[in-house]
Amino acid sequence: MLGSIYAMVAVALTLSIGVLRFLNFSIPGLFMIGGMTAWASLHGGMPWPLAIGAALVAGALASLLVERFTWRWMRNAQHFVPLVSSMAFLLLFEHLAVIYWGSELRTVPSLFPNADWRIAGLVISLPQLSGLVCSIVLIWALTLVLARTRFGRGLRTIAEDSDTALLLGVDINRIVPVVFLISGLFAALAGVIFALNYRQVQPFMGEMVGLKGISAMIVGGMGNIWGSIAGGLIIGLVEVMSIGYFGADFVDIAIYGLLLLILFIRPTGLFAADFAGQRA
Amino acid sequence: MSGYLEGVLVLLAVNVVFAYGGFLPLAAGQLNLGLAGFAAIGAYVSAYLSNVFTLAPVIAIPLAGVAAGIVALIVAVPVLRTRGIYLALATFALGQIVQAIILNLEVVGGAAGYPVAAFIRLPAIAAAAAVVVTLVWLLFATRFGIAVTAVHDDERVADLMGIDVRAFQIAAFSLGSAITGIGGALYAHHFSFIEAQYFNISLSITIVLYVLLGGTQTVIGPLLGAAVFTLLPELLRASANWRYVAFAAALIVIMALRPEGLVTGAQLRRLFGITRAEPRAAAVAAGLPKERAG
Amino acid sequence: MSANEPILRLDSVSKHFGGLRVIESLTFAVRRGVRTALIGPNGAGKTTVFNLITGVFSVDAGRILLDGIDITDTPSRLRIGYGIARNFQNIRLMPHLSALENVMVGQHCRNRGVRGVLHPVNLVPRNRWREAARAALADAALIQYERSTVGNLPYGVQKRIELVRALMAQPRLLLLDEPAAGLNPAETETLQAQLEKVCIGGLTVLVVEHDMHFVGALCEDVIVLDFGRKIVEGSPEDIRHNPLVQEIYLGAPAAEPMERHSARSA
Repeated sequence: MLGSIYAMVAVALTLSIGVLRFLNFSIPGLFMIGGMTAWASLHGGMPWPLAIGAALVAGALASLLVERFTWRWMRNAQHFVPLVSSMAFLLLFEHLAVIYWGSELRTVPSLFPNADWRIAGLVISLPQLSGLVCSIVLIWALTLVLARTRFGRGLRTIAEDSDTALLLGVDINRIVPVVFLISGLFAALAGVIFALNYRQVQPFMGEMVGLKGISAMIVGGMGNIWGSIAGGLIIGLVEVMSIGYFGADFVDIAIYGLLLLILFIRPTGLFAADFAGQRA
Repeated sequence: MSGYLEGVLVLLAVNVVFAYGGFLPLAAGQLNLGLAGFAAIGAYVSAYLSNVFTLAPVIAIPLAGVAAGIVALIVAVPVLRTRGIYLALATFALGQIVQAIILNLEVVGGAAGYPVAAFIRLPAIAAAAAVVVTLVWLLFATRFGIAVTAVHDDERVADLMGIDVRAFQIAAFSLGSAITGIGGALYAHHFSFIEAQYFNISLSITIVLYVLLGGTQTVIGPLLGAAVFTLLPELLRASANWRYVAFAAALIVIMALRPEGLVTGAQLRRLFGITRAEPRAAAVAAGLPKERAG
Repeated sequence: MSANEPILRLDSVSKHFGGLRVIESLTFAVRRGVRTALIGPNGAGKTTVFNLITGVFSVDAGRILLDGIDITDTPSRLRIGYGIARNFQNIRLMPHLSALENVMVGQHCRNRGVRGVLHPVNLVPRNRWREAARAALADAALIQYERSTVGNLPYGVQKRIELVRALMAQPRLLLLDEPAAGLNPAETETLQAQLEKVCIGGLTVLVVEHDMHFVGALCEDVIVLDFGRKIVEGSPEDIRHNPLVQEIYLGAPAAEPMERHSARSA
């Protein structure tokens, strides 16, 4: 379950890195915005479909704000400038959240508390199942879009070579905001799923949870969608296993240790391939 | 001096030290996103040495800096074999790992935090900061400064000019980490309590941001960046959270308009009297023959 | 190091990039103190030869000898210490260093080691390294630019600063990649005079150039390359009249002496 959340965040990150060549550090912030907006809406009495919708809208808007102020102005500047600005956005979002909502841990009301399934000794709740299904469907839809549609082809072309893409008439200026939009939605939705399943949110949840999506992305294979999916599942597995064997305190060490190891040994990731998954 | 003012100035001094810790790798073209981890190493080592071995801070703090520097040296070789974004990510992972390890180290309090017995006041901290600034300034006035900037600008050509790119990168990275460790130690001995939660990615990001705010082209930039970050919100009486919001927003705008930061090399050259950006050919050339004979 | 040993010798050097054979069993020698030109059509591999000599690329086969010393496996960083300096086709000065500091980078190979690195060159007013660099700039009539940000300087000035930087390493062999490209006639003449002057001191110069007037005026020996191989070698006069060379450049044997368009952008 956690794996699919990490996978969604990793996919969001991968879209940025693969197509735009920039590590979008604001994505954990968008994750938090999704989760906290969902909580705030539910807390305010909104029915759950609207609450989720509000969270997604918030995430999308925030993502487009990031686009406006990192990508649009700074493409041609020094290479690390967009990364730095995205880090500033992360701080911005986190502290605005603290100002607006306070820094305490908030509990998300449980939806469908009685709709649990018992399958083969495992208890699966509705939010869990729907979260899982949702992420699988969306990621699958994304890969379809990448493979079949004109838009997807445009993305893959830009990912491979932005100069050629320009020559081939791909309209980068129109595609870029869409990439930000999609990655923002994925990140926000991951936050929503996390909020509904683990039922705890706080302004720094991006740092606690979302940042592990970076590990997932790299471990699976930087800049490659299938890799980030695999990475998400791997990191989720590592988390569960390290809780089981070493206790909850060692989770971060395991996850970031794995990231460091991969960076040393095989920086392209376990499943190195190009953007849409062809073998590197 | 009021306790409030002392607190602000101590924070300024600590931030200045952190800034120079972040400046060194950036000057060599590396982004160290694990600064908080090295600050944590410095803080905890110094606190431990002074708590358990009752070493005076004036001994413990430099030792802690050395410890942070040694850890940096050990990881520098594999980490610096990565490039660009991978390097930033490796340092990021490093910072997270250090924080996580400390959280689990019961001998220094674990998640509950670690009280620090030895206490130092503003004069000592300010002096330490002054020493750090002076040393870095002196260092950059040597061939080290030229070589590091060359490495930052063009690794390939620097290498062909005989500069050991790898060695300078490792040196900048390790020295920067040691300085950051000293900053952490100074913090520990004044605020008398440290916890792993403080040394998180936000701290690393914040430091990087105010170094970039000041500008990495000159040795004065980090000082200015730390000063603006620490003092401006005080003057505006901003709350803790609004200060970050304003800071982040300002950074975003500055990165859009003037990514070199507040102080640039060209500006500095123009500013300081004897230096001229415009050629004063006749006057200078006329003065030359005497000098060349020497 | 015998007096008859050529200062530079390439022995059957080959370099492939993937399937592309850029340099194929190339053998030539540059004699000490002889100003030599390396010419050939675009794509002949001239800049690759420079990159092999300086160690940017490693050779796939063959040997490179400098004054009889085999430097084939020497790391690129150490080759300037052996006495090879170069400039770059598209100027590569350090944008964040002043002109003077850029020139001082050229001194680095002579001022290495921990003591050298910690030399307070920018602190002490009359530091000898700094003064030596200033003198070199003054010599080249560039002293007025010493504190300038190099990125804003005119193209011709930047090129000359780059040359001073290379000379600061006090090399035995100077590799120049299209030093006259982009210079106006006056600047080209200055360059020629400057190079002739430094060669009197014993420096050997190997020049890649398209400007045949410049080559004819400056160089005593010309090596012609095509498809990564040495085609012919001789004096500029010989080369100009050589039918093989004419064929390479024009694609067909020509009756008249070849007149080569200069590749200047000025």
